[in-house]
Amino acid sequence: MSQTAKTGPVAAPGTGAATDPRRAAHIAVRIAGTAGRRILMLIVLLAMVFAAVEILPGDAAGASAERGESAADLAARRHLLGLDRPLWARFAHWMTALPTGDLGTSARGQKVTELLADPLPNTLVLAMTAFAITVVLSLLLGCWAAARPGRPTDRIISHTSTAAFAVPEFVVSAALLLVLSLWTGWLPAVTVTGGDGKPASWTMLIMPVLALVIPQAGWNTRVVRGALADQASTPHVEAAHLDGLPLHHVLLRHQLPGAVPAIATGMATSTGLLFGGAVVVETLFNYPGIGSVLAGAVAARDTPLIAGVVICAGAVVSLVLLAADLIRYAVLGARA
Amino acid sequence: MTAVLPLAARRPSRRVKTTALVLIAALPLLLAVAGPLVAPHAIDTPVTAPFATPGDGALLGGDQLGRDVLSRVLHGGTLLIAGALLVAVVTTLAATLIGCIAVLRPGLGRAVERSADVAILLPPLLGIMLIALAWPGGGRWAVVAAAIILGVPYAVRVVAAAASPLATAGYVEAALGRGEPTPYIALREILPNLRATVLTLFGLRFVEAVYVISMAGFLQIGPQPPASDWSLMVRENASGILLNPWAVIAPSLAIALLAIAVNLVTLCLAPDTTAKAVTRS
Repeated sequence: MSQTAKTGPVAAPGTGAATDPRRAAHIAVRIAGTAGRRILMLIVLLAMVFAAVEILPGDAAGASAERGESAADLAARRHLLGLDRPLWARFAHWMTALPTGDLGTSARGQKVTELLADPLPNTLVLAMTAFAITVVLSLLLGCWAAARPGRPTDRIISHTSTAAFAVPEFVVSAALLLVLSLWTGWLPAVTVTGGDGKPASWTMLIMPVLALVIPQAGWNTRVVRGALADQASTPHVEAAHLDGLPLHHVLLRHQLPGAVPAIATGMATSTGLLFGGAVVVETLFNYPGIGSVLAGAVAARDTPLIAGVVICAGAVVSLVLLAADLIRYAVLGARA
Repeated sequence: MTAVLPLAARRPSRRVKTTALVLIAALPLLLAVAGPLVAPHAIDTPVTAPFATPGDGALLGGDQLGRDVLSRVLHGGTLLIAGALLVAVVTTLAATLIGCIAVLRPGLGRAVERSADVAILLPPLLGIMLIALAWPGGGRWAVVAAAIILGVPYAVRVVAAAASPLATAGYVEAALGRGEPTPYIALREILPNLRATVLTLFGLRFVEAVYVISMAGFLQIGPQPPASDWSLMVRENASGILLNPWAVIAPSLAIALLAIAVNLVTLCLAPDTTAKAVTRS
């Protein structure tokens, strides 16, 4: 990700647009290559997840054992879960089943896909809302801070955002609960699930989303501010200042476009943190997402279920990173 | 030229501010070290009614079993901070060593780059859950080990990024020309020029470790219920937040103070370029 910050000295965005067909083909090949690399990395991650589940001590059959269960019963369930087959056979089976949408069987014997079918969309709604708000908020704050570098506004925004991204989501959630729910009574403290497995009212999304947005916006405001500062020292931005163009014009037309690739990459890398935060926030607000499923899985030591969630999260993060790659190509063209 | 900061003009005030910040950051650390010595009650015996309001010998009231909140807060930070320190020290040391060697050995450098790319796909908290659960009985150690394993690839990339311009510096090329062994060049020629980067890295790794360990504690991976731990306290007492809010506010404040203070100090002590390189990774 480090190389993304280096735009050429004369970053005139959009000039790399593919006008002649050879260049277009060249760019298409590079995009395909990037997508291929992302898929390859996802497969490596899957192998590592599988290894963590299978090679480390303890297995699903033992973890879900009832008290007073005989060794024969245990062996029977081991066989049922396929744990008595050789490691490579299990890995091959697991990997070939993945493309068909089979994430394996949980320690309790249910299909992981069935367990995740309802909660996963709920979590995606929560995380995507939080991500959208984070993008808008951090762009606004970052630009506002960068407009007058070194002034009080810049320092206040920079320090506040630095402080915000260090605080764990559950601490932010506790503060929100106290202020917005218990002291003022504006919002319901817990999410009530309607008959369709979704939150009963959209107001129940406000606090979980806020708890995710505050630390994430802190982090991404720093990224935006940093990327804009890098652009501020490039010759074409200094030239624009010397030409006497208005500050906001220079910021939005000259600084921001060059900073977009770095900003996109920075925001894409924060989606992983967003997922982790969602797990915690959902637990605290009783939101019907994968967080509550995971909390149950932790209690039951249900590793296959957790591996399933990791796969889903890894796939989503891969997609977002790929989107950031595409934005980079679109802005930088052949120079990416 | 409004974009250029008169940095030199702000130096003195910056030093005063940094000193003040260091003092603030020392507060939660001091609390964690001295806390258990001054705690008025035992952490595991009820002294008042469950979720009792402050008063009656319990300065911050009681928790869900009527145990003294103040005493539990005073005890609850020691292991969290010790664990975070351990993670930060080991990750920084490992990353510094590997990072210095990686810039001299391109093959290793590429391997590090690839493993960091893969690690980015795995949300840290989910990775820790996976490792901690696949290693039953690991407790705090499983969380610490997972935080180190998942943190090293990023950290190496930061060190390698800072060290790569040095690899082509004249004195390093001279040492290479003399035929010095790689570890010698890494430790004697490159490492001494990376002090600022390594210090910043250590600070931010510490912040990250506090974050990850307390999140794991909140999800009840790591420290188990009878133990007093700030994050565990927030989780356990969330249900009684209406009856005795202090049982949730006090440990939350402690974590927030620790994280914010250490983070601000780290970024203030760091030269601007390093802070950017580290936070950007």
